[in-house]
Amino acid sequence: MISFWHWISAPRHGWQLTAFIFGALAIGCGVLALLASTTPRYRKTLVAAVTFLAGLYYAIEFLIPPSLWPLDPPRNPFSEVQPLVGTLTQIIWSFALFLGVWNLFLIHGRAVAKRSRGWYNSAAFFISFFAIMGAGLLKDYAHGPVAKVSQSVFTILFSGFLTSLDATMFSLIAFYIVSAAYRAFRVKSLEAGLMMAAAGIIMLALVPVGAEITNWLPSTGFLSALRVERMGYWLLTSPNMAAQRAIAFGIAVGGLAMGLRIWLSLERGNFFDRQL
Amino acid sequence: MNILEKLQTIDRRILYLLIAAVIAIPLLQRPSRHPRIVFSEVKNAYTTLSKVPKNKIVIISCVWGPGTRAENEPQTKAIIKHLLMEDTRFVMLSWDQLGSQLTYEDAVEIGKQLGKRYGKDWVHLGYNPGPMYAIIRGLGKSFTGVFKVDRFGKKLKDIPATKNVRDYRDIGAVVEITPSGTVSSWIAYFNQPYNVPLVFCPTAVMSAEAYPYLDSGQLDGMLNGVIGAAQYETLIGMENERTYAAAAAWALSCAHIFIIVLIVLGNLGYALSRRSAPQRGGGRTG
Repeated sequence: MISFWHWISAPRHGWQLTAFIFGALAIGCGVLALLASTTPRYRKTLVAAVTFLAGLYYAIEFLIPPSLWPLDPPRNPFSEVQPLVGTLTQIIWSFALFLGVWNLFLIHGRAVAKRSRGWYNSAAFFISFFAIMGAGLLKDYAHGPVAKVSQSVFTILFSGFLTSLDATMFSLIAFYIVSAAYRAFRVKSLEAGLMMAAAGIIMLALVPVGAEITNWLPSTGFLSALRVERMGYWLLTSPNMAAQRAIAFGIAVGGLAMGLRIWLSLERGNFFDRQL
Repeated sequence: MNILEKLQTIDRRILYLLIAAVIAIPLLQRPSRHPRIVFSEVKNAYTTLSKVPKNKIVIISCVWGPGTRAENEPQTKAIIKHLLMEDTRFVMLSWDQLGSQLTYEDAVEIGKQLGKRYGKDWVHLGYNPGPMYAIIRGLGKSFTGVFKVDRFGKKLKDIPATKNVRDYRDIGAVVEITPSGTVSSWIAYFNQPYNVPLVFCPTAVMSAEAYPYLDSGQLDGMLNGVIGAAQYETLIGMENERTYAAAAAWALSCAHIFIIVLIVLGNLGYALSRRSAPQRGGGRTG
């Protein structure tokens, strides 16, 4: 069984790769058609069973130590297939990319077709999508001057546009934070005052200028505790750490409860109650 | 409008212009001076990676993309440079489509500077969609079972740097460079079960969450945002070079002081205006 899975998940090239892609698509479509022909109740049961089995695999693999298995040498047989399960989950997750692109095409295609408000933004999406895809494919697979031109176009689109736009969007936060800190950070109570003092110390402690400000203080002895970087470090490793541990513990307990609900298909609301 | 009200209502466009100038000037000037103080977690990261045996590889896991390039790229470059200087082989993974290209270009650039070759000294595995936990869990059991080819489709068994990597026993350390909370996957599924050292390189905003893990010993070191990268550069002998990380460290210093001054100004106006405002209910008349 394991050797079969190793064989099926091995890397392929040329006509074998094409055959595997189309074969997997045909099998996938067949399974989907079969599922679509059954009743919703049956489909839900099937999804719940698959979810449970997938969760059960990880529970057994992770929680049962090798010494408890009656095998010589002691080992967990489920761990043996872990790399294979990793590969399979990678393949399943890759479908998320396809679904994302499909969703974008549906939404923006509808907007362009109906000429709804701002439809030209949707048209820009299609132009950008096909431009960078075309340049990317041509630079890798074309030869001669076409490949050279495609490489230049790809560099302009990728480094000039895409990465710069992405970085620009993220850097807008700096402007927002400055404006928000100035307008909203008012010391109206003792708690707000403590928070502002802690924030000020941390802000200075994490940058080089903080250390410069209190560099005149001795680096050892009682007064060294007043150096900004020392105070900042104490705030991070004492009050902050205690709070982070408490938050992490709460999240872990909540995550365990949530995981159990999803594993046993007990979760209700939003996606979980929708007709499949 | 008196001065107290003005102090509280500076036009946001003026603030935007000022913060842009405050950040841009040090970045354009590029001072060579690196931070004098090096945090203990940065020193520990340096020591951890320096101690990796030469017959083992280091995994550099990059979750970042262009959005956090300003913070995560200097960390990536500093780590790559250190490993190449130490002749420690490494494998790069990318969990971000755009980051995959950026991290590859970073390694190519530093490799050229130091005369190191792709395939012999380092390998890039390209973009991986995830899920992280499944891949990380499988990685400990069989490296080539999870990763079969590099970013160019060449089999890892045929690449000198990776041909002898079987499982966790051949992995000397993991470096996680990320803008999000992904480090817990490495701790839970790889570094803790197999006792492999882990160095964490988050953006500064995420670093506060890492201190419990540093305290428990589950993290062996940390580069705290771009400041951590500048401090790491100091440790690898780049303290007199005009690097982006050093410039960014001073740009952040100026920006933080600017924000503190603005907050103080706003609060000063608020406190003074409250004092000068008439008391609610008026004075005593009896």
